[in-house]
Amino acid sequence: MRTALLFILLLILLPVSVAVQDLLPAIPPFQERVLLLPVVFCFGAMALPLVPALFFALLVGLLQGLAILQIESGQIELGLVGPVVFFLSWAILLQMASEATQGIRWEIHAMGSALITLTLIGGEFLILCAKRGGFPADTTVLMRCLVPAGSALLIAPVVYFFLRSLVPFAPDAGLGLTRKSTLDA
Amino acid sequence: MKYVQIAALVLLAVAAIILCVIGAGPLAQLQSGFLGLLSPLSQSGNAVKNSIGNLGKDLMTLDQLQAEYNRLLSENKQLRAENNGLRDLQTDNDHLRSILGYRERSAFHLIPAAVLGHDAQAWWSTIKINRGSKDGIAADMPVITDRGLVGKTTAVSREMSEVILITDENCKVAAKVEGTKDQGICAGARAPEGELKLSFLNKLADLQPGQKVYTAGVSGGVFPSGIALGTVKNFHARELDGEAVLEPAADLGSLEEVFVVTGAK
Repeated sequence: MRTALLFILLLILLPVSVAVQDLLPAIPPFQERVLLLPVVFCFGAMALPLVPALFFALLVGLLQGLAILQIESGQIELGLVGPVVFFLSWAILLQMASEATQGIRWEIHAMGSALITLTLIGGEFLILCAKRGGFPADTTVLMRCLVPAGSALLIAPVVYFFLRSLVPFAPDAGLGLTRKSTLDA
Repeated sequence: MKYVQIAALVLLAVAAIILCVIGAGPLAQLQSGFLGLLSPLSQSGNAVKNSIGNLGKDLMTLDQLQAEYNRLLSENKQLRAENNGLRDLQTDNDHLRSILGYRERSAFHLIPAAVLGHDAQAWWSTIKINRGSKDGIAADMPVITDRGLVGKTTAVSREMSEVILITDENCKVAAKVEGTKDQGICAGARAPEGELKLSFLNKLADLQPGQKVYTAGVSGGVFPSGIALGTVKNFHARELDGEAVLEPAADLGSLEEVFVVTGAK
């Protein structure tokens, strides 16, 4: 029951995070954007049991894929395969991290959010380079990968404690609550 | 592992496979549904953002008035506050009149739209506007301001549309340079920095900074001829062609209102 409630809350937060990240102002001087979706995903992938976490990852992949979808003359530039595989893979890794720490820790969540953001943006850049040709790697590209990842690292604790206030029954290693003793109960 | 979990995993695998093999048509419909889902969130979020922005402006005005208070008598302060209010109204009035005037004297049928937000994705330059299919918007319609070209619509839902900006690498526009016969293809960069690149120019072209660039209006293309694209910042010859860097005519970093071109008058 608790797992279902947590899952529903996270599902509601997904489109909200996409809408809010579009409304947030760009960070000067390079006008980088802040991504909230990977931060919410990281929390869900660590807090939920394996199967719901994988479904959650599938939905996040679908949302991210639709957010970057460009159809030009009936041709899809980047389909849903990349984002779906990406988030499913990260969900499995985060589940392993969550098992290792017996629940979520805010530090792991912050580092995970930053790494997911970095690999997401970097991966998209590499796929675009493979599709469109060229490899225009310069300071702007580097900043475009690093600044959102750094922002995710800083924002993640805020999102973590906000989500914990919404879902106080989520497992937390810091409070001595394990995945088994809470969500599986 | 319980049977329920195995069944859930099989269902997950099937769903993932279906999503991965889905074609362009159903994907476009899914994207339209996604925009429809975001529409109320974006519109209400934008309203809250604007309210907060206006609150900040009001506080600024109060601060300024507080500074004035130290120098002026009570009657003077009241009059100044009143004048400030009238000036704000005058500015709004002038702004709305210029928008209305542009719409009336334009050669195109225009639908005004408000910008709801800039897409947060790193490698794509897109914005969302508060007009959709119920207002007559369809995909591949040019979007402009009174200063120049902004981009074109891509995904359209009932109440909201996505616009790809000309600073995106994927938005290519046939362009011509004012006062010359030089034509090229204008596009943005993979990591857009607000500038445009006009490529495939004659490498012997003699372009000077400040020359204006307009859409060329290719037959069967999306963009009509003669819409301002930008101004030449510099030009350099490459091995096979010439390339110019352009400053966009429209201020794409602070878009608030745009027009969607639905056809010629």
